[in-house]
Amino acid sequence: MDFGKKTVIKDLSFEVYKGEIFGFLGSNGSGKTTTIRALLGLYQPTSGDLLIDGKPFSVSSGIKLGYLPEERGLYKNESVIDVMSYFGRLKGLDVSEAKKQAMDYLDRINLSDKAKTRIDKLSSGQQQKIQLGITIMNNPELLILDEPTKGFDPVNRRLLMDIVEEHQRRGATIIFVTHQMEEVERLCDRAILLKDGVSYAYGTIADIKKKFSGASLDDIFIRVYGDENEKTKENS
Amino acid sequence: MTLSFPIIIGMVFAIIYFSNQETGRAVENTKNQKFSIEVTDESGLLNKDLIKQFGALQPADKQTAIDKVKNGGLDAYFYYPKDLGKKNIEVYAKDAGLFDNSRYQAVAKVLLQQSVTQTVDAQVTAILQDKVQFSSTTYKDGKQFDGFKELIAPGVFLVLFYILILVFGNQMLTSTTEEKENRVTEMILTTIEARTLIIGKIFSLIALAFVQIIAIIVPVIIAYVFFRNQLALPNLDLSNIPLDPLRIAIGAAIFIFSFLLFTGLLVAIGAIAPTAKEANGFFGVITVFIFGPLWAVTLFVSMPDSVLVRFLSFFPLTAPIPLMLRNAVGNLTLTDSLIGIIILLISSIISLSIAVRLFRYGILEYSNRIPFSVIFNKKSKNINFSKQKPI
Repeated sequence: MDFGKKTVIKDLSFEVYKGEIFGFLGSNGSGKTTTIRALLGLYQPTSGDLLIDGKPFSVSSGIKLGYLPEERGLYKNESVIDVMSYFGRLKGLDVSEAKKQAMDYLDRINLSDKAKTRIDKLSSGQQQKIQLGITIMNNPELLILDEPTKGFDPVNRRLLMDIVEEHQRRGATIIFVTHQMEEVERLCDRAILLKDGVSYAYGTIADIKKKFSGASLDDIFIRVYGDENEKTKENS
Repeated sequence: MTLSFPIIIGMVFAIIYFSNQETGRAVENTKNQKFSIEVTDESGLLNKDLIKQFGALQPADKQTAIDKVKNGGLDAYFYYPKDLGKKNIEVYAKDAGLFDNSRYQAVAKVLLQQSVTQTVDAQVTAILQDKVQFSSTTYKDGKQFDGFKELIAPGVFLVLFYILILVFGNQMLTSTTEEKENRVTEMILTTIEARTLIIGKIFSLIALAFVQIIAIIVPVIIAYVFFRNQLALPNLDLSNIPLDPLRIAIGAAIFIFSFLLFTGLLVAIGAIAPTAKEANGFFGVITVFIFGPLWAVTLFVSMPDSVLVRFLSFFPLTAPIPLMLRNAVGNLTLTDSLIGIIILLISSIISLSIAVRLFRYGILEYSNRIPFSVIFNKKSKNINFSKQKPI
């Protein structure tokens, strides 16, 4: 995948199995978000296939998708309950069900007293939790979470991981884009490491560790991406 | 926001009403006031009995009278020169306040007018005062034809079009920047189709426009029906306005497709611009196309077959005003109206399609405008993929 003269994704191929949590790892700018956007049809590939259930993704394909993009954002001038209900309606819920799911989630994350508060009056962490709630409305069968714990404190990170595991138990397939290795170790069944637009390692967590002589995922990450920081320092 | 217009209308009408009341009272008070006047008539036109009725005296000379006014011994002195056609009537008066000062001139004028009126025939007076009434009957195709009344029904669409673009143009422009500025585009585009979102926004704008129009029209109707006299509004006889179904239908069709065309354009600009502020910069360009043809309005009425009029009538961006205006005045032929409607229909479809495409491709560009090469290139982003086996 090219942006202007820059090739972001050169050679990438992977499969995600139904019901698993799949880790998509890479340093900043390695092409993770670009690949996800291409998978969801936001970018157009010129060759190769990005398929979900054997066909290219479209909103009319019938797949119940929950997507938390890396670029965070909500309608700032609207209240929490209105925004959540709006997205719930867009996902096919009726008015009362959308409102119910929204309130249930707000109760869970102890923000029910903020239901009528405007989004821009919440802290960024609270806004992120609201956006996560929107993502999981209507019990999606495919969850794509792009750096979901960015900006979360340890308590909220734990909350998110609990939510992810719950959805997997319900049969959802989850693509988890991150560079937090402890999350990968806890949650993911298989993973892919992306570097310079190419798959660097791919398989189960155990297989990846074996490839790197049993090192921890943190060490593997530093070994794989550590020289990028050196190159950056040299260039600057 | 919707109610602000009728509230403002209500306030304006209230101001007019109370202002008229106060003015009426002031005029009455002025009539009843007496003040001392001296008059020098070198024109010979003033009626001496009338001068006495006004209680005016003749001074010894002009300067003496002026000095008396200066010293406060006289309220006003009027000097009528010999040749009124070449020299001014001079009014010297004691200051009585900004509003009341005008009474002196009014009295001097009335004194002269009533004096002269008495010396001429009433018919001549009416002619000179431009009070002669005319009734006019025109015919077209063997039937009575009132050009101005015929204009009203089809002309409504022209007025409506202007109001909608002026009131809602900016909203249409920024309707698609909202998703971009709030960074919700990825969540939106992975939940609903871009086309569905754009169409939904257009329908909501149309609904809002109708509500706003009702909010404008209803208070005006209420004011006209119940407070016409207090607000000094003219008495309009709307009962015999001709309704030509064909011209109304043509006007409606031109209006609808023109509205869709410009809605598509404005939405497209909003999608391509990274922020509402940048999008607003384009609005001026659009208004030039919409309102620019007004400069040639006399041509549309008097020379409908001229090259310029025909060009403006069929060029999509300028077509709405010439077509609606020509339809209103009755010089738009059936052939021209059909051609114009088809052009506007096709143009509105194209503009809405472009709007959807721009929204689709432009919505992830948060800081740059989208180049046109990207918009019209079918495959605007490239990925090189090949199969690789997992480890």
